[in-house]
Amino acid sequence: MTYEKFVCWEMNYGNCLPLGSIEAIRPVFMIVMGIFLMVIAWRLCKCTAGWTARLIAAGALLLGVGYAVILPLYDAGFIERISPAGRYHGSAATAVAWHAVKLVAMNSGWLLFGLGLAMHAKVFATPSPRRKTTSPALSPHESVA
Amino acid sequence: MNLLLEIVFENGLLLDAFGIIGLGLLGLAAVKLTRRYQSWGGTMMAFGAVSLLVARLYFLLSPHFVNSDFLAAIGPVGISLTYALPPLLLTFGLAGIVWGLWGHERWLNQETR
Repeated sequence: MTYEKFVCWEMNYGNCLPLGSIEAIRPVFMIVMGIFLMVIAWRLCKCTAGWTARLIAAGALLLGVGYAVILPLYDAGFIERISPAGRYHGSAATAVAWHAVKLVAMNSGWLLFGLGLAMHAKVFATPSPRRKTTSPALSPHESVA
Repeated sequence: MNLLLEIVFENGLLLDAFGIIGLGLLGLAAVKLTRRYQSWGGTMMAFGAVSLLVARLYFLLSPHFVNSDFLAAIGPVGISLTYALPPLLLTFGLAGIVWGLWGHERWLNQETR
């Protein structure tokens, strides 16, 4: 699309992001990835059990919320970014609260997901020092003579 | 300010450290999956985890060492790289992790079937 055509298109359709641009693609990509992550983690959980499955599911849910809801909302401009200078257009408390929610969701999500996957891959499983000594048991058919 | 919010902000570095530790564990688990079980998804996952880790560390550490002297030293190409690389790393890191997880899950299902 040439520049004149683009300007004409923008005048026709208002000042919104073109659907094929990088800025518009990135939130969509994040939504798709977040949902995909949740679905795959849920399917992975069916192969595991106990705390591993719980940690993976909890981490994937937090990450899914973070990537599929919070970050696209930030990109779309529905949530105001936190500013160190303290200048806000809307309510400062809302911006601070959303920042806290984002921090907690993303960081604890990665922590729980990483822990769960590490337990799934048996990173923490140390070989037990008292290995079962396999004593050669007498076979019942051994001749005693 | 609310007490809960205060706690979250006082321990912002702790939370970021949690994220970094989680990504490190993810990378470790991915490498272990690749080496022990020859699961091809592990390679993609390790790549994604490392690139996410690098981008996050850059975002955490850049306020401490990026100043005008540093920017003058790396030149215009370096400055544009500091703008372009972290979002690219974040995007492709996430894609790598999800792709690797998908591959590992498929491999696991084939194994148990």
